Amino acid sequence: MFRTFLSWRYLLVRRTNLIGIVGIMVAVGALILILSIMTGFLELSRVAARASSADVTITPFFADGEQQQPQPLPLEPSPLLEVLRKDARVVAASAHLTWFGSLIGDTSISSQIFSQGTDAVVRLVGIDVADEFAATHLEEFLSSTPLRGQKVADPKNPFALPPGMEGGRPRPVIVVGDSLMRTHGLARGDVIKVGTVVFNSKQELESADFECIVGGSFRSRENELDLQRVYVDRTQLARFLAGLRSQEDELPADARTYSEILVKLADYDRDGARICSDLKQRLVSMSVLHPFSNIETWEQQKRVILGAIENERALMAIMLSLVLLVAGFTIFAILSMMVSEKRRDIGILTALGATPRGVMQVFLMIGFWDALIGATLGCLIGTWLALKIDPIERWLSSTFDFQIFNREVYLFDYIPSQVEPLRVATIVLGAFVCALVFAMVPAYRAAKLDPVDALRNE
Amino acid sequence: MSEQAQAVAPPVALLSAVGIKKSFAVGDRQLEILHGVDMQLYAGELLALMGPSGAGKSTLLHILGLLDRPTSGQVFLEGQRAFELPAERRAWLRNQRLGFVFQFYHLIAELTALENVVLPAMIHQGRGAYRRDRRAHEHKAEELLVRFGLKDRLTHRPTTLSGGERQRVAMARALFHDPPIVIADEPVGNLDSATGEKVLELLFEEQARRKLSLLLVTHDERLAARCQRQIYMDAGQIS
Ligand SMILES: Nc1ncnc2c1ncn2[C@@H]1O[C@H](COP(=O)(O)OP(=O)(O)OP(=O)(O)O)[C@@H](O)[C@H]1O
Ligand SMILES: [Mg+2]
Repeated sequence: MFRTFLSWRYLLVRRTNLIGIVGIMVAVGALILILSIMTGFLELSRVAARASSADVTITPFFADGEQQQPQPLPLEPSPLLEVLRKDARVVAASAHLTWFGSLIGDTSISSQIFSQGTDAVVRLVGIDVADEFAATHLEEFLSSTPLRGQKVADPKNPFALPPGMEGGRPRPVIVVGDSLMRTHGLARGDVIKVGTVVFNSKQELESADFECIVGGSFRSRENELDLQRVYVDRTQLARFLAGLRSQEDELPADARTYSEILVKLADYDRDGARICSDLKQRLVSMSVLHPFSNIETWEQQKRVILGAIENERALMAIMLSLVLLVAGFTIFAILSMMVSEKRRDIGILTALGATPRGVMQVFLMIGFWDALIGATLGCLIGTWLALKIDPIERWLSSTFDFQIFNREVYLFDYIPSQVEPLRVATIVLGAFVCALVFAMVPAYRAAKLDPVDALRNE
Repeated sequence: MSEQAQAVAPPVALLSAVGIKKSFAVGDRQLEILHGVDMQLYAGELLALMGPSGAGKSTLLHILGLLDRPTSGQVFLEGQRAFELPAERRAWLRNQRLGFVFQFYHLIAELTALENVVLPAMIHQGRGAYRRDRRAHEHKAEELLVRFGLKDRLTHRPTTLSGGERQRVAMARALFHDPPIVIADEPVGNLDSATGEKVLELLFEEQARRKLSLLLVTHDERLAARCQRQIYMDAGQIS
């Protein structure tokens, strides 16, 4: 009984113990808060990454010269799409034609774009609206509330001319990413130019300007998309890339009209793992796809970015564990000091019938109280902060007129945070183990002290 | 052992030392402080141990109090060879059968007078048993303290008590478990003579009342004269 009683009394009377408690509290609280935010961030990023890419993406390899297959591969997506759509595991498939360019705009915004540097680089993505709606989340992105952009007039028909623009010179309509729209100060109905290069009839590169009308924005919540992607009708893009400048010209037979195929599966969890190699084998054997082509699931595509966030979380956990280690070390220092200071008490307790083990437990229990109080407070505070971080940050930002979390940078409208009970339990357990391990050494030393030495003199 | 020694049954000592030697390591040498000490403390006896400073009195007391192990020799406590018992058992004997009073009181600063007195019970009992008996323990401690004239000092911390008061608290603590043996190492050595006398008076009273075996180390001839028996120690030997 004296162990609990004495350790508690020592704890209360010696204020230095507060340092250990506060250390544990801060470490546990910070670990819970930061890791919850990172987890929330990771989760949202996963959701965004998932939503912004199709289950499976096929990137065909178009060979020329000797790499060409016996029979020429189709330059047109329909044979591939046909095969894919017959597959029972596939719900929908949509062809993309991707090209790069740089916003050059007209004079009214060109200076601005010049100053933006590489921010003006965009990815032109040609799509067939109906196919794209079926295979991806585009329809959702078009109707989701823009953070800084401007919705298209009719989300069902994104490439329709924006209201008030009818009757002008016929130009393709583009839909741009939410961030892109803001970065370049674009508005619905703006006429802009995307400067790019195309192959001419002699297969030489020549520069060409893609003149188009901004129909509105979409928002996927994925950085890369919202900042760089420009959707346009696939046929219109193909015609532009083939060098056709008038509506009447026929698309030449050797024009490439797609560069990827996006596939949506009926059950990704069931088929995702196996379908890639499966599809490739079939499509290659049917001579609609070159064997060098690439077929990847969304996870394989995004593994770098997801892995990076995951790594960051692990790194953060390691760094914050150092705080815990420091807290543990303060407990070690305080207890060591206390053991030296309490040598006489150790002698007294022994004289009154305490065993060395009992003496050791007195000091171990001080470490235990430190951990119990520190971890409990840290757990409560950390969890509360993690659950309320968004309103707290808003309040702080508005009260001190200083934005702590820049929502524009992270592309989320709120600070994500996800408290995982198992992780919290691990952190608390870690704090206990840390405190007890660090308390062990001074406690052991206390047990080894010679009681007679301590009793001999005042 | 001679036949004669076996025939004459030795008087039963509550606590006795037989051939106690004790050496300390000083540097790389062994320094022998006790050179084979024999002594007995009989039941109900008030025994004074005297001797010059450095004679080894405290060293002997620590061994008799089972706090320190002799280099050789035996300590018999109520007939048992104390240093052949397991350490837990010796701890139990210290708790239940022995009471200590030190020159420098040795109270625990974080505890009140009352808490210091019940400390032996806290050490003896587990949490459940102590909780159950707590009232009784506190009552008993209070009684002791009241008897020692500390009625109004129950919740005082040691630092707020005078030397005489502290030593009375220490005596109450030593007597808490009603041990048959009390070992007191210059209990009033640190007090002025008037205060010391009053404190010692209380201890003698308890000794007589409880029929304690009290081993008292003192430098004071007058006090020693009040004890039933005196032994002298010099240079690590009883003379
Ligand atoms: N741990 C130790 N190491 C070395 N020498 C020691 C140790 N403990 C005690 N001594 C020595 O043993 C001798 C006896 O000490 P002890 O304290 O027993 O004397 P004492 O008779 O109680 O003296 P006093 O009357 O002053 O209290 C002293 O010379 C002391 O220096
Ligand atoms: Mg002494």
